[in-house]
Amino acid sequence: MSNLDPLVKIENLKKNFGNFTALNGVSLEVFPGEVHALLGDNGAGKSTLIKILSGVYQPTSGKIFVEGSEVKFSSPRDASNVGIGTVYQDLALNALTSMTRNFFLGREQIIGPPPFGILKSKEMNKIAVEEMKKIGIFISDPEQAVGTMSGGQRQTLAIARAIYFGAKVLILDEPTSALGQKQQMEVLKTILKVRDLGNIAIILITHNEIHARLVADRFTFLSLGEVIGTGTPDDLKDSDIKRLMAGGAEIGDLAAELKR
Amino acid sequence: MNSNSRAESDRLKKRNWFIEILQRPEIGPFGVMLLLILALGFFSIPENANTWNLFEGEGLNALGIRNNLRIIAQLGIIALGAGLLIIAGEFDLSIGSMIGFAGMCMAITLKWGFHIVIPYISFTNGISVEKFVIASFNNVTPLAAVFITLCFTLFFGWLMGLIVVKTGLASFIVSLSFLFFLRGLTEVCYRAFNKAPDQTAGSTQVSDLPDFKNIVNLPEYGEIGRVAAKRLDPEILLRYYEKLSPDQIAAFSQKLSMAFERVAAKKTEILMNKNISNIEREINNAKEAGNTDLVTTLQSRLLDAQNMAPVVPKDVTNLDIVKAWIDTLPSERPAADFFGGNVLEGMFEWLYQIGWNVNNYGNKFAPGLYNAVFLWILIAIVAWIVLSKTQAGNWIYSTGGNLNAAKANGVPTGKVKISLFMFSAFCATMFAATQVFETNTADAAKGVLKELEAIAAAVIGGVVLTGGFGTVLGIMFGSIIFGIASVAFFYIPYVDGSFYRIFLGAVLLIAALTNENIRKRITGGI
Repeated sequence: MSNLDPLVKIENLKKNFGNFTALNGVSLEVFPGEVHALLGDNGAGKSTLIKILSGVYQPTSGKIFVEGSEVKFSSPRDASNVGIGTVYQDLALNALTSMTRNFFLGREQIIGPPPFGILKSKEMNKIAVEEMKKIGIFISDPEQAVGTMSGGQRQTLAIARAIYFGAKVLILDEPTSALGQKQQMEVLKTILKVRDLGNIAIILITHNEIHARLVADRFTFLSLGEVIGTGTPDDLKDSDIKRLMAGGAEIGDLAAELKR
Repeated sequence: MNSNSRAESDRLKKRNWFIEILQRPEIGPFGVMLLLILALGFFSIPENANTWNLFEGEGLNALGIRNNLRIIAQLGIIALGAGLLIIAGEFDLSIGSMIGFAGMCMAITLKWGFHIVIPYISFTNGISVEKFVIASFNNVTPLAAVFITLCFTLFFGWLMGLIVVKTGLASFIVSLSFLFFLRGLTEVCYRAFNKAPDQTAGSTQVSDLPDFKNIVNLPEYGEIGRVAAKRLDPEILLRYYEKLSPDQIAAFSQKLSMAFERVAAKKTEILMNKNISNIEREINNAKEAGNTDLVTTLQSRLLDAQNMAPVVPKDVTNLDIVKAWIDTLPSERPAADFFGGNVLEGMFEWLYQIGWNVNNYGNKFAPGLYNAVFLWILIAIVAWIVLSKTQAGNWIYSTGGNLNAAKANGVPTGKVKISLFMFSAFCATMFAATQVFETNTADAAKGVLKELEAIAAAVIGGVVLTGGFGTVLGIMFGSIIFGIASVAFFYIPYVDGSFYRIFLGAVLLIAALTNENIRKRITGGI
């Protein structure tokens, strides 16, 4: 896959909040059909990085390329217009309305002038069910309230929605946190399904190196705003991953320290 | 997919139509509503009436339906405004004051005209406030008055929404401040503008407006009130008789003679019953006294009374026909008629002819339903389409259900909220318009506490106070429940009328608990 051009390329990205350096020159490449796991401890800069990528923050310096051309985002809308879709932890779903209404929220298909156009319920139901099916979850009743769906199904709904509305780069922010064991596996399966579509690059932010190992094609470890390691699963040994997850500190030292 | 994840992914049971109806959120309010209607009909049947027909009861006879539906419809109009706003996650406590303000605005423009002025301080004769008149409209039509009022109320609705959206203050406190502000403004405006030249402070009510909805155009005479037209000199009126076509005359005289016959028949019945009961009482007295001679004479009188000659119906005169014709003339102020007039008059005429819409004296009981009912249904249909069928409806639900999700998906939540504050103000204005044009009066105290009644009706109808959940149909049922409950107890002679508040309090609490449970069932307890 590395013979392809990267879908997203980040060069020497820096972000300061006042005199606090959140990101200190991060570079990253993400390829289509690849799951790129972004790992790191709390405060490593993961959130800042994805907020820059999804247009919420503007970088202090550095460049972002999407499909080879440089982009500058001034709002989340700019980012989604060039195909960067972000699925946040809260999923941006309204639990009280139906799956279809959530799938098309803000981008409803209507007959007549907006915003008073009549919803094309049947067509939208069909599309929603089909798009969910494509990434592996079959819902027989698209009119069911999102609140009645499982956590995994909701995650899938948010992902399917991002893909349907043109996401080429899918940023998943901790998709497996706050889920049960079985539903975590369901989400991971969904991620693999999306990868198998072949044209979508996935950036997976996670705390959980086991999950990352299960689905990721490439790892990038962040610590204190800098990349401290990168590589494919083959390049990295388990001990490397453990060490890098702990922010580069020797886990052995820590263990020894705790014993004292 | 393998069977394992299929089972995980779809655990909702298929439902049939019956279960589906039972699971609709409106089913609870609907049941309570039906029960209340039945109870109203049953308990309002007069004690001596020997019938089980609920539509003979005072609550559900023609006049009862007319009066009760008016209360329900007026409440229903503002409940829709309040309900939609609550669904979008905001409150409007200013509805009652908005009603008072709108009524004041309408009545004063109708009575004193509408003037656009710039006040300035003049120093020519000491210091005084003078005004520079830009435009002046003296005879404001009802339509223009409603339009001018809407300009003000929609502006205040917009302002309230803007403040809530821009400052992030709770709408509870913003609309509470508008509750005081608008009520005060209403009173100040009454005192300032509603005064004759010899008064120092104006009265806080307008009670001498003409009956706009009944202004008709009498050919060759000009505009005149319906009642005044019928009181014109008979000679003038009979001139119109000549102009009516034979068909019209035939139709009017047939209608009138039927009505007169009905009145005569009722008179006969009343007279006969009265005589018979009198004689029967006398017979009983005579029997107790042992006066057998008197009993026999009385019994023969009883027979006479039972076979008494029916009262002869009044003849239909030409004057009667002209008066009936004046009743059919269309209003010259359609806007006033739209807000304050009657609807379904044809149906109520037919109901009179088939013998239901008849009062104790044989006259027509109710001329029709108040037009407020029509307005309510109209607004409800529009609100229902918008809320459950359109893109805007999805935006309203998501704005109230999960504001951040709506924002993240590009829903203009600020605009949604501001529009609904304006809709709430619009509904309050419609309420005021129906009041002003029905009664031709306005008062600074109109609409007090209506905001809470509207919110209560919406909640009884299944709207969740935290937003995102509720339907137009439910709000309508809630208004009917509230409306019936607030009048029903007055039809039951042996129960204190104030019990209705106790009843409503309990219903409101139960409704709120039920709504919360439904919401929890749907969100999975979030």
